[in-house]
Amino acid sequence: MRRTLTIFRTLVAATILTAAVGASSTSFAQQTRDGLNPTGQNPTAESVNEEFLFKQDPKITGRISIPDGKAANLIQPAGRDYRDFRERWLPWLSALAVLGAVALLGLFYFFRGRILMERGPDTGRKILRFNGFERFAHWMTSSCFIILALSGLNYIFGKRLLMPLIGADAFGVVAQYAKFSHIYLAWPFMIGVALMLVLWLKDNIPNKIDIAWIKAFGGFVGDKHPSAGRFNAGQKMVFWMVIGFGSAMSVTGLMMIFPFVLTDITGMQLMQVVHALIGIAFIAGILAHIYIGTLGMEGAYDAMGSGKVDLGWAKVHHDLWVEEEQAKNANGPQLGRHQVPAE
Amino acid sequence: MARMKFLCDADRCIECNACVTACKNEHEVPWGINRRRVVTLNDGKPGERSVSMACMHCTDAPCAAVCPVNCFYTTADAVVLHSKDICIGCGYCFYACPFGAPQYPKVGNFGSRGKMDKCTYCAGGPEADFSTIEYEKYGSNRLAEGKLPLCAEMCSTKALLAGDGEMIAQIYKQRVIKRGYGSGAWGWKTAYRETVAI
Amino acid sequence: MLIKRKTGGPDRTFHPAVAIGDTPKAIDRRAFLRNSGLVAGGLAAAGSIQLGSVRKAKAAGSSAIGPEVTIKKNICTHCSVGCTVTAEVVNGVWVGQEPSFSSPINRGTHCAKGAAIRELVSSDRRLKYPMKMVDGQWTRISWDQAIDEIGDKITGLRDKYGPDSVYWLGSAKFTNEAAYIFRKFGAFWGTNSVDHQARICHSTTVAGVANTWGYGAQTNSYNDIRNAKTMIILGGNPAEAHPVSLQHLLSGKEINRANMIVIDPRFTRTAAHATEYVRIRSGTDIPVVWGILWHIFQNGWEDKEFISQRVYAMDDVRKEVAKWNPEEVERVSGVPGEQLRRVAETFAKEKPATLIWCMGATQHTVGTANVRALCILCLATGNVGKPGTGANIFRGHTNVQGATDMGLDVTSLPLYYGLVEGAWKHWARVWDVEYDWLQSRFDEVPAKAGRKARTRKESMESPGITSTRWFDGVNLPEEQVDQRTGIKAMMVFGHGGNTVTRLPEAVKGLTKLDLLVVADPHPTTFAALDARRDNTYLLPICTSLEMDGSRTASNRSLQWGEQIVKPAFESKNDYEVVYRLATKLGLADKMFKNIKVVDNVPEAEDILREINRGGWSTGYCGQSPERLKAHMRNQAKFDLVTLRAPKDDPEVGGDYYGLPWPCWGKPELKHPGTHILYNTNLHIKEGGGTFRARFGTERNGVTLLAEDSFAKGSELTDGYPEFTMAVFKKLGWDKDLTAEEMASITKTGGANIDAVSWATDLSGGIQRVCLDHGVTPYGNGKARANAWNLPDPVPVHREPIYTPRPDLVAKYPTRPDERQLRMPNIGFSVQKAAVDRGIAKDFPIILTSGRLVEYEGGGEETRSNPWLAELQQDMFVEINTGDATDRGIKDGQFVWVSGPENNAKAKVKALVTDRVGKGVAFMPFHFSGWYQGDDMRKFYPHGTDPVVLGESSNNTTTYGFDPVTGMQETKCTLCQIRAV
Repeated sequence: MRRTLTIFRTLVAATILTAAVGASSTSFAQQTRDGLNPTGQNPTAESVNEEFLFKQDPKITGRISIPDGKAANLIQPAGRDYRDFRERWLPWLSALAVLGAVALLGLFYFFRGRILMERGPDTGRKILRFNGFERFAHWMTSSCFIILALSGLNYIFGKRLLMPLIGADAFGVVAQYAKFSHIYLAWPFMIGVALMLVLWLKDNIPNKIDIAWIKAFGGFVGDKHPSAGRFNAGQKMVFWMVIGFGSAMSVTGLMMIFPFVLTDITGMQLMQVVHALIGIAFIAGILAHIYIGTLGMEGAYDAMGSGKVDLGWAKVHHDLWVEEEQAKNANGPQLGRHQVPAE
Repeated sequence: MARMKFLCDADRCIECNACVTACKNEHEVPWGINRRRVVTLNDGKPGERSVSMACMHCTDAPCAAVCPVNCFYTTADAVVLHSKDICIGCGYCFYACPFGAPQYPKVGNFGSRGKMDKCTYCAGGPEADFSTIEYEKYGSNRLAEGKLPLCAEMCSTKALLAGDGEMIAQIYKQRVIKRGYGSGAWGWKTAYRETVAI
Repeated sequence: MLIKRKTGGPDRTFHPAVAIGDTPKAIDRRAFLRNSGLVAGGLAAAGSIQLGSVRKAKAAGSSAIGPEVTIKKNICTHCSVGCTVTAEVVNGVWVGQEPSFSSPINRGTHCAKGAAIRELVSSDRRLKYPMKMVDGQWTRISWDQAIDEIGDKITGLRDKYGPDSVYWLGSAKFTNEAAYIFRKFGAFWGTNSVDHQARICHSTTVAGVANTWGYGAQTNSYNDIRNAKTMIILGGNPAEAHPVSLQHLLSGKEINRANMIVIDPRFTRTAAHATEYVRIRSGTDIPVVWGILWHIFQNGWEDKEFISQRVYAMDDVRKEVAKWNPEEVERVSGVPGEQLRRVAETFAKEKPATLIWCMGATQHTVGTANVRALCILCLATGNVGKPGTGANIFRGHTNVQGATDMGLDVTSLPLYYGLVEGAWKHWARVWDVEYDWLQSRFDEVPAKAGRKARTRKESMESPGITSTRWFDGVNLPEEQVDQRTGIKAMMVFGHGGNTVTRLPEAVKGLTKLDLLVVADPHPTTFAALDARRDNTYLLPICTSLEMDGSRTASNRSLQWGEQIVKPAFESKNDYEVVYRLATKLGLADKMFKNIKVVDNVPEAEDILREINRGGWSTGYCGQSPERLKAHMRNQAKFDLVTLRAPKDDPEVGGDYYGLPWPCWGKPELKHPGTHILYNTNLHIKEGGGTFRARFGTERNGVTLLAEDSFAKGSELTDGYPEFTMAVFKKLGWDKDLTAEEMASITKTGGANIDAVSWATDLSGGIQRVCLDHGVTPYGNGKARANAWNLPDPVPVHREPIYTPRPDLVAKYPTRPDERQLRMPNIGFSVQKAAVDRGIAKDFPIILTSGRLVEYEGGGEETRSNPWLAELQQDMFVEINTGDATDRGIKDGQFVWVSGPENNAKAKVKALVTDRVGKGVAFMPFHFSGWYQGDDMRKFYPHGTDPVVLGESSNNTTTYGFDPVTGMQETKCTLCQIRAV
């Protein structure tokens, strides 16, 4: 999925670039002969004109005395292309990504059903999978994510879905608070992503076991469970998606919170495009994560719910991790012991 | 019905910034908000030209299209206005605007870009014409008084033209024919998808 | 016009374009807020989250319907174009500005300054009440205390050091009436050291032009430039300095497909619109003009008939011009001969052609000579005295022309009567005071440093110290200053402190003064240079928008401005302050004998009537307040190009707009004013005229009177001298005078009735009769190509004091050291020392200066206006891209600009641009408030500091004064630039 998104991203960027060039070249073609001087007598007729300047650069920039650097940009027709992306493509792409993800998960659920916990000798015993701090980090990030996702989607769909329902003024107020929440909750979200990186990086470094896990389709197909450490390859993918997308969203988001500090209008447009595209991909990915962590698999939610998982489930899904934990601690599952970290 | 436009005759514009301060004066626009500005191209070199730029009140305005809260509307005179009650200050209109027209006051808090402010073509906003609230939010409403935007009315060399698109195009055409040169109607292609054919 | 009222206006249902179909409007905003429990107050109070950023308006909108809106018209104060400002006033508050479409001068338009002028009046950065510096601290005082203390102090100084120890600096922003009473006050005080900004902008123009053809003013008008087929703009950047004039220039350029040639060291915003741009080295105007004339004479393109009829001694010029062949011109000025040939041919052949100049020509050690050369170029090509021609001199302030006319000048009483006995006697008659009493007010000067002693009468007739040298008048040893003592007190009205060169020496002068009084809407640089601890007073003066009175635009049109609002805060107008001071000094009864005073405020109309009664010499006699007010009422009736109203109009029929002087005779005569000076194609009653016979009738056997040239309808069909009773008697025209007029003339003339002239006849009879005979009262003379009374009768090139070409100094040295205007001028010694010390090696860059469109003059007023200040937030130096690269300087970074005198340095931002050529730097002169790298903001009285501060360009300017007028050299000195 990540690859698909990358392709998308490249595609869109390319489209924008070609569109920009295309648009400006059409404007050359349709320029009148204003710039020409029929009498040929007046040297001031050789002044700069739009046609000439657009040939040098897709946007026309000059000098302005006010310190606002972006004000020196006179005309940037690329704004039209940004608009095309945002209004013509983005809603469809977003709808496709989000609804597509939901549909795929629905199909999966329909065919595979809920993955039930397999009963075994250790069923009923608990093992601490995520301690309080880890869960705090997860929930802080995820709750922020949900609001960010909803307020983010509001930028795309609010006026199309919500506004007709509640009216312009009410929607204005909702959208205003949505914007504030988007900007303010971005910070705990970014902290959360950073925390998770620190907490779980070690357990998410890809290794050979992951290849086997992937070859076995993670046990989703068939009944055999491939071996896995603390995190299986699927979880690692989620982790790296969160880290990758999270940082991309953070970088592009920060650029938008502090607009024009580091980049110009073209950069800002690109940031916006990247932010939106990764955002919807992120939402789609997280939907899958939510599915598998709750509805999709019995017992999985406990890991982030109480932090304690069924030892039997753990042995099936994270056999290597359980071995490791037990080797570290002869007493077996560390119930009620706060201090012991997962590693 | 008139279709209002702006046209800056760059062969007349001398970067005197009267349009800028007239706008500030008429609407009491605060420091840091530049509803109109003058950009000099090719500064200091032969062929140098200055162009006064503000919201061009585009046909099929990109700002209105990208606005996530649909706060824009177009009047019967084709003036593109917006409602500050609905605007959330997201900044998208600035990315979409080909002319850098939208302005955002810096509100104290980090990240809270204030409500967008831009040239209203001296036509106020959605509030009742001549109401105090309209003036406070959008500035004065000259159009409703039967007057044109002050920037164009006060332009020192009559470079900046405002009014019905066809009429100002006509004025510009006559000028170009008379004097024999003209660097074109800056931004028209982008804003109105048409240009002044001479 | 073409505007239809916005129909319907959007209401709460204005979102038809919601993407998904028609949607019912569920709830309106208020309902939503109510339902959700969020009320407006709650939103605003929600912590630091602010929903709105909606600004609060200061005043009700200009378009507000409801309170009654009064329209008041005044004149923009920021340059000399004379744009009408139309103000909307509600309940005594100036709430908005409207375009003044009916004014034929600005036709609704403004520049940045004019469009922002409302803020000048309501600015909270103005000086609000009188202040006094006590032990280095600004302290609020009352007006009464201020006037009392100042009056006592200057009286003390007068008793101890004589009247010349107090210097009276007036303002080009005065109304005519204020300028007049200020000059009158100087006369009553007993000094000729009364000056104003014209000294530093166009004093050389006035001297040069008046010495050529009679009057020191723009010959045509801004509007008339629309007629020109060729215009040369030399040393001027009207696009920034006079933006509204460009409306006329560019229109003319377009309508006539006119040639617009810009000659300047800098590729200015004006040059950007030129058809030809000539880049010259600063300070080589004479070589360039002579270079143009060389081609004209060489090819016989001169107007031979015009020269023979109306020009004296053009052959003397030919001799000098012959030296300036294209090679020498290029060697000195850098301009290729071929280009100058093209310019010469265009100017001489594509007629009518006009010459426009500003301070690039005037602010030089050779300023007067530059101006003379330019006049001669007009004369040689016959480009004077016709529509579309002439010397169109753009002046700098609202009323710098008027203030000059009113004699805020160390060399003259009001209206160019000079300082001779006859002048004093004339004004004594007008003022209704004893000549002897006036004389008694002046000082006796003892002999010193080998100079003879001076009697009171001689003092009275001796020009004062120029404003460019006031600090030299303080700093120099007393025996070098040609008056009893040096200057001890400065009374500064409406004049910036950063406008004179050599600022470090001005600071020294400030510390030495016994008294400094600054009367201004703003504290100005004088108050904020941290030079003084006490005996410093600030008097809040209202802007001229807050007072009635007339202003004379550059084109000599007088416009009546009416008070828009009452003076803000505790400020008072100039009339009242002068009156109060005069009262304190016991002069008021004499000074305001014939002027109505209400509540300590002399009435402007009455002052103008007194000016009318004495202003014969310049034709300031016909512009009564009633006529001027009628013009303002009927602005729309005047033609855009001819400036004339239709003859059948009952109020202003046939008048030229603003009755441009000379407007001959009494107001009842209804002379229309003179739109174009020296225009022989019109009857004098229609505004025609001839060159003024000001310099006698012949010299060395050669006539100075015109030959076969006369104004249309003249009964005398040849040259004639100025009219006196003696001439009248010869012609028998004395019989045309009425008995009343004769009685007045007899009274004026006393024993010598023959000497009563058109300029001293208080009855106006001589002028009336002259008009009836179709002759110009001042005679019909020739313009002088050789002005023998000037230091350089025919202009010669002289290298700037600090020249980048020391190799040329031997051939083209500046004038020898000599004494002028009570001061030594040691330019020659300074130039020699600079060459000997190799200054040009250490300071290789030419430093020139000029205007920005956003600011004006010293800039305190405009830099306090946030609408303008936002547009130029930093003082900068323009440096050529090549020079910047050599020095590793990037655009926008701070640099040190250092000058060759006083170890001067200025910390400014670099603006890297090709506007300036290699080896040239440019600084705008409007900044102050930083001094040699230090921010001086804290020295302003609290709350009066301008928004934007910066180094003054004059921190680094240097020595150099024009020998005729004491004009300072700001356009050509040397500097070095280094990255900070």
